[in-house]
Amino acid sequence: MATRQYATFEVEGALFGIGVEHVQEVLSFSEYTTVPLAPATIGGLFNLRGQVIAAVDLRVRLGLPRHAMDGPVMNVILRGDEEPVSLLVDRIGEVIELDADQFEPPPDTLAGPARELVLGTFKVGDRLMLALDVDAAVDTNAPTAA
Amino acid sequence: MEDFGEIVQEFLVESHENLDQLDSDLVTLERDPQSRELLSSIFRTIHTIKGTSGFLAFGRLETLAHAGESLLSRLRDGVQPVTQETISTLLAMLDGVRALLATIEETGAEGDVPVEEIIARVNRQIAAAKPAAAKPAAAKPSAGKASRGKAVKTSRKAVKTTAPAETAPAEASAAAPHDAAEPDARRPIGELLVEGGGAVDTDVNWALQKQNAGDERPLGSILLDEGKTNTGAVNEALAAQGRRAVADSSIRVDVDLLDALMNLVGELVLVRNQLVRAADEADDPVIVRTTQRLNLITSELQEGIMKTRMQPIEQLWMKLPRVVRDLSNACGKQVKVRMVGAETELDRSLLEAVKDPLTHLVRNAVDHGIEDLSQRAAAGKPAEGVLTLRAYHESGHVTVEVTDDGSGINVEKVRAKAVERGVVGADEAARMEPREVMMQVFQPGFSTADQVTNVSGRGVGMDVVKTNIERIGGAIDVESTLGEGTTWRLTIPLTLAIIQALTIESGGERYVVPQVAVHELVYIDGAQTRIEYVSGAPVYRLRGKLLPLVRLDTALGRPTSSGDEGVYIVVLQGDGRRFGVVVDRVLNTEEVVVKALTARFKELGVYAGATILGDGKVALILDVASLARRSRLSPASERAVEAEEPATPVGGAVDRLLITTVGARRVAIPLDTVTRLEEFAADKLEWVGNREVVQYRGRILPLVRLSALLGVGMAEQGEAVSAVVYTQAGRSVALVVDTIVDIVESSADERGELDDDGLIGSTVVAQRVTELLDVRRAILAADPHFYTESDSALVEA
Repeated sequence: MATRQYATFEVEGALFGIGVEHVQEVLSFSEYTTVPLAPATIGGLFNLRGQVIAAVDLRVRLGLPRHAMDGPVMNVILRGDEEPVSLLVDRIGEVIELDADQFEPPPDTLAGPARELVLGTFKVGDRLMLALDVDAAVDTNAPTAA
Repeated sequence: MEDFGEIVQEFLVESHENLDQLDSDLVTLERDPQSRELLSSIFRTIHTIKGTSGFLAFGRLETLAHAGESLLSRLRDGVQPVTQETISTLLAMLDGVRALLATIEETGAEGDVPVEEIIARVNRQIAAAKPAAAKPAAAKPSAGKASRGKAVKTSRKAVKTTAPAETAPAEASAAAPHDAAEPDARRPIGELLVEGGGAVDTDVNWALQKQNAGDERPLGSILLDEGKTNTGAVNEALAAQGRRAVADSSIRVDVDLLDALMNLVGELVLVRNQLVRAADEADDPVIVRTTQRLNLITSELQEGIMKTRMQPIEQLWMKLPRVVRDLSNACGKQVKVRMVGAETELDRSLLEAVKDPLTHLVRNAVDHGIEDLSQRAAAGKPAEGVLTLRAYHESGHVTVEVTDDGSGINVEKVRAKAVERGVVGADEAARMEPREVMMQVFQPGFSTADQVTNVSGRGVGMDVVKTNIERIGGAIDVESTLGEGTTWRLTIPLTLAIIQALTIESGGERYVVPQVAVHELVYIDGAQTRIEYVSGAPVYRLRGKLLPLVRLDTALGRPTSSGDEGVYIVVLQGDGRRFGVVVDRVLNTEEVVVKALTARFKELGVYAGATILGDGKVALILDVASLARRSRLSPASERAVEAEEPATPVGGAVDRLLITTVGARRVAIPLDTVTRLEEFAADKLEWVGNREVVQYRGRILPLVRLSALLGVGMAEQGEAVSAVVYTQAGRSVALVVDTIVDIVESSADERGELDDDGLIGSTVVAQRVTELLDVRRAILAADPHFYTESDSALVEA
């Protein structure tokens, strides 16, 4: 059976997952530079070993209040098409291996901005993991519900 | 097969270089049809291309080059004269070769690029000159085949030897002299040896065969090793080959490798900046010394790496005579291209970025700038127009000028056009300075041409030129004298990767402004220097002229972080206008490594990039042109400003400034009032009351430490202190600085003149913001009676 590894993380208590092949690294960082006039989904810029990385606040993408950015925030750094981009999340979870046949389309009850970002769901123990659409999640030019 | 691909790659690179040279050579030949050297050189290059393409089995390319070679051989042998038509045909042949090479590069094969039409055209040229022309043309191929093997070998040498010539300052029409030196440079060593009597030709042929059989030693070495010649003869022959030594001492390096090195050096500069900061705090002499050395080495390394990426601008210019020729022929004009400073070097990535804007300016100058023959005759000008390309280095930048001696741009016409297009109101337009009016030509869709031609205005307008130049951190400017001509001036940074920048703070965040745009800094204390409001718009009275202001916090859509007191104005020049940006604090100037900003922020337009500061935090680089547009006043306040504006005298006097350091700041002191520069031993300094003094020439000299006066930290007390001594009417005072750096010349209108009431302006000297000392105030701090005493003394006496 085809299995796939997912890196998981939490935002506002909900469990999300991204295929590990998209993930470059995960790290906590606290020094961000705000970008005035930028879309609200941009949490800030930071220096990753000499590279300037834009951090997209997943909370804002999901229509939630933004991260305070006054202390350490967890970054899931994704290999972008042209440059890495970071997703700001609440908490990092484990890397889990899931069978492709456990995949289910997003439930009809899932509404709001999250609906656009979720490809489908997996059952992980007694929880539901939402598989995130990477491209949609980091699309900072999309209109936000927030 | 791998090897074969490499050969093709090398062939492509060399041929591309050769083609550019050929373009320029052919245009030169048209002006100087008698130049046999030039003809021979062109012939040889085509011959090489033909030979190599045959060797690599590019049949169509070989046929095309062969046709060109046939025509060239007739020109060379004087069978047929050089005419405008033959040159056009040969240029068309080159274009065909170029198209074929492009296809080969893309697909690895020749594809179906149509060459038959060009070949037919070449043959028509041959036939037109002499109907029975078929014979000499047909006789050529065998000779071509015979020398094919050699052609492959010499092609590399031929390309390399042109490189030093390119760096020579050259006018296009003067290209012939350096070509004259080339026949020797391109001649095989064996031939030279035989000619000089150093070897016999049978031995040379034998050695050549060895080489062909796979012996990798140079020909000279083979002959030497076998005792067929002597060292002296080989050296002589090598010397005769002239530039060979240069060719052998240079190598081709992959641009990606250079880019990677450049990035690494960028990182190193960052680490250096961080370490310098840490060492300042560490207070450990060993670390400080080591850091200083690292600092020096880093700077040298950075310079060295940057040099490897530098290329003479001639690389770009070489293509332009051809552009001018084709265009002037199409417009029925005569235009000569002059080049000054072709050896001026700039970073290759910038060279690429400047290519299109420059080409556009040149096309525009030929099409709209230079008049047609009848107009020139009527104006009493020579029939042939002159287009001058000029490049030079100026204070860390490269300036490239495109000048024509045409009819010039009519400022009033531009003014009228701007009003007609509704860009500015009639009142406003009438008040605009000529310089500002001229900037209107960079507005999208602007044209003063009475008739639109199909030559310029093909997609790119002056606005695009301007955008492209600004994108690389450059600026464009135009100057024109009606009836005499127009000069377009591009100011381009030397390199894209590392810039001098001023770091400022607004709303608790740091931002970076490219130093090139910074003119001066003004501190607003709210009393002597104040922000004023005209129709609600903030302005500052800078030497009597009202300067429109932008509050950085407001411009960035952030809450107002400070009032009108205790803030700084950074006076900037951008988008053709001068304006001030109000910031909370001015921090420092340093070299920063420019990082491209993610595409997400491109449309914001406010940022030109990002950088990483000494402490590792990311800072945004502000886009000066975009801020300038925000500083545009409303028409109402513009009028109000105008009404208040007194006439401003234009100063142009050149002053000499003494540059010193005080703490981390650079302070300039006008030199004309300075009496002497002195060093005093630190243990000679004494205190009298609360005043520091030193015995000097039998008198007591009061000292004032500028560090105390300017409120900056005092540098480590050394064994001696540097002082600037003023003497007037028998009284002397000394101003103590940390170090004396330099004496520079600065024109008075480039900087703030100091008001007597104590305004401290600043200027940019050698890329660094330098504060101008209010000498009077400093002297009064040392000796309150310095100026008055002499007068009162007279009264009392």
